[in-house]
Amino acid sequence: MAETVKVCTGNFGKGAQDIAVYRKLGGYANISSRLFDLSQFETIDIVQRSGLRGRGGAGFPTGMKWSFVPRGTGKPVYIVVNADEGEGGTFKDHRLMLEDPHRLIEGLIIAAWALGARSAYIYVRGEFLPSIETLNKALNEAYAEHLLGENIGGTAFSFDIFVHRGAGAYICGEETALINSLEGQKGQPRLKPPFPAVNGAWQLPTCVNNVETLMALPWIFEHSPEAYAAMGTPRSNGTKVFCVSGNVKKPGVYEAPLGIPLMEMLTSSEYAGGIEGTLKGVVPGGSSTPVLLPSECEKAILDYESLAALKTMLGSGAIIAFNEKCDVVQLLGVLGNFYTHESCGQCTPCREGTGFANRVMHALLRGEGHDGDLELLLSIADQYNGTTICPLAPALGMPITAFISKYRSEFEAYIAKNPNHASPRVNATIRPGAFW
Amino acid sequence: MNEYQGHLHFVANNTLTLDKGPSAVVETLPNPADQLGHKHPPVAQPSWKEIAPKLESPEVKLRIADMLSRYPQAQGALLEVLWIAQEALGWVPREAIRWAAGVCGCSPAHAFGVATFYTMYKHAPTGRFLLQFCRNISCHVMGAPDVIGYTEKTLNIKTGGTTPDGLFTLVQVECLGACGNGPVMLVNDEFATDVENGKLTLKPGVGLTPERIDKILKWCYAREAEFKVEPSRDALGGVVNGHKGHSGAPGASAKSQVADYAPPCPILGVKAVASEAGVTLTWKGAPEFTQIAVERLEGSSWKSIGAPGLKDKEFIDATGKAGSEYRMIATSGARVAKPSAVAKAIEKAG
Repeated sequence: MAETVKVCTGNFGKGAQDIAVYRKLGGYANISSRLFDLSQFETIDIVQRSGLRGRGGAGFPTGMKWSFVPRGTGKPVYIVVNADEGEGGTFKDHRLMLEDPHRLIEGLIIAAWALGARSAYIYVRGEFLPSIETLNKALNEAYAEHLLGENIGGTAFSFDIFVHRGAGAYICGEETALINSLEGQKGQPRLKPPFPAVNGAWQLPTCVNNVETLMALPWIFEHSPEAYAAMGTPRSNGTKVFCVSGNVKKPGVYEAPLGIPLMEMLTSSEYAGGIEGTLKGVVPGGSSTPVLLPSECEKAILDYESLAALKTMLGSGAIIAFNEKCDVVQLLGVLGNFYTHESCGQCTPCREGTGFANRVMHALLRGEGHDGDLELLLSIADQYNGTTICPLAPALGMPITAFISKYRSEFEAYIAKNPNHASPRVNATIRPGAFW
Repeated sequence: MNEYQGHLHFVANNTLTLDKGPSAVVETLPNPADQLGHKHPPVAQPSWKEIAPKLESPEVKLRIADMLSRYPQAQGALLEVLWIAQEALGWVPREAIRWAAGVCGCSPAHAFGVATFYTMYKHAPTGRFLLQFCRNISCHVMGAPDVIGYTEKTLNIKTGGTTPDGLFTLVQVECLGACGNGPVMLVNDEFATDVENGKLTLKPGVGLTPERIDKILKWCYAREAEFKVEPSRDALGGVVNGHKGHSGAPGASAKSQVADYAPPCPILGVKAVASEAGVTLTWKGAPEFTQIAVERLEGSSWKSIGAPGLKDKEFIDATGKAGSEYRMIATSGARVAKPSAVAKAIEKAG
């Protein structure tokens, strides 16, 4: 088998945090040789031809997103990097920024050239202070070598990058919440439209991109968009950085072409190296994506379309495998706690609804479940859809629906623990509590 | 100390507290924040006089000027200013939030809202080592409950508690973004799953176990013997030199960041070469330009002779001769750049 091309993770473990090492590994070649010969339109065209899709979770084509940013309005354009990685199971951006900060800077310079941006902000979640330190050190080196600042490379192009430290809120990973947080407000999502491409940070055109998306750009420009598009499947081009965690032998960050079978990612010695125990289920794209049973895992192919056909999502590429020892009812309780805690409190169906579902789940876990609780949970999960500004509540609804429909017997066993499970539920018993 | 007995940290949606201490709690539904240990009893708030020396030091002023220069509106720096306050004081008392509001030109009410929205701002002093355990899905699958239970037993505190010697505070948090190292924890601002050569480490694939917890706690005790006070760590990850700030930052211009936003850069590298076909102009473009105009000097005035497209790489003036002088003007929307340097057409060599 040919060696897998590493688009984003090629410099892992090579000390590329240092600019001299990064240059030796071929870094910043785009900036010194190719980029400034391209026009804005050619730059965006290259990204469109590569078929690169947003790696943060939604999988929206990056080139198309860029083309939405209006030009010639006289307004400044901002680029915001979404490094507020908080989805359960996702840890690729953390490693990417620690291992290869200069690649992110190079990707940002390419994006800024394409969009005509003067300033960019890297919004890093507050917990990643080591990453922020690495990035700041890299930025200092880049400024010292005049890769950033005014009139870069003798052109009329000037560009600054600022790192913004978040302060602990999962919801800031949603792009409009992130923009609000950048503006010094509570991280509460905004209604869309208007989309950030038109009215983003400070009501100015803003392009929000994930760390991994931008880090793929240097490779695409160094090689060719066709070479990138040739990898992966016809509709999911290129490679993806997967984060494998849970009951596997070698949890970690692995880059592979899209279209790789899920089981290969879990069992191949090149990747996660096998399951510990017997596989009971896999969450394929971060905590909010619907779970897959082992029988479905056999069929699952890791690209956007194949997973959508299995009614789940590739999301951020966070693969969480769990074995037979794992209590899925508890697992759903963990997710209930998470989304209840992280609801920003703006929309009622989410603020009250996540807590309501969580209280029912915890009643179940304490052995106070009643007949009909599962229907109640499914009904709550259904009511999240389309009733809130952002997808946080549906992100709890999806695992609720999937876990209950796929592991129904285990939930029913919990209900059976209540000797009075056939009696009607009294509201007062719906209260949460610690369960471990 | 100014005895303030109200709840400041309003962590949960369904906890209703009045302003006079715990006796006035009207109705409490337990919620996930209780389990995480982020709630705390009301604390005595220091007065402004007590904290002012630390927040008005020259170093802090310098940091804040840098932060304010990065955003088109001062309020953008609010999160960073709160971080600076937390670094200086160890937590963010009420007066510090009020001060941050003043620095960032927003109302204290807005700043209180922001400071209490984000979970990483501390509204009460914690132990010297804040142990934050991830309890989200991956870490749960990989054994977080056992590790958290072990630590609670070892330190003899519950989640949310502080050891009597003031060394450790233990809380649980949501996903820390290091799931490959599950179960994982933060010791203050450092990820830690092991200790190697006297340093906390986060090696790929290495998760916490009771033995590694013991090693980390031992590291904390050793560090306590080494330093009287925990050495401070830059809350914003160090200073970046070289940038001149956002072009429309509050310090750089007046109120409206759009109108006063810096004009586009002039076109650079304009060259004019004369040949039989006329004068060929070349230049270096920038993505910001939306329109380019070429002007030629006629007598003592500049006359516009054409507008090349943005994709064009050159412009030919068929009537031009060697010695003609040209300049180019770039426009970006309503903003017009300064004219480029004047280029005198030179005869093509050879």
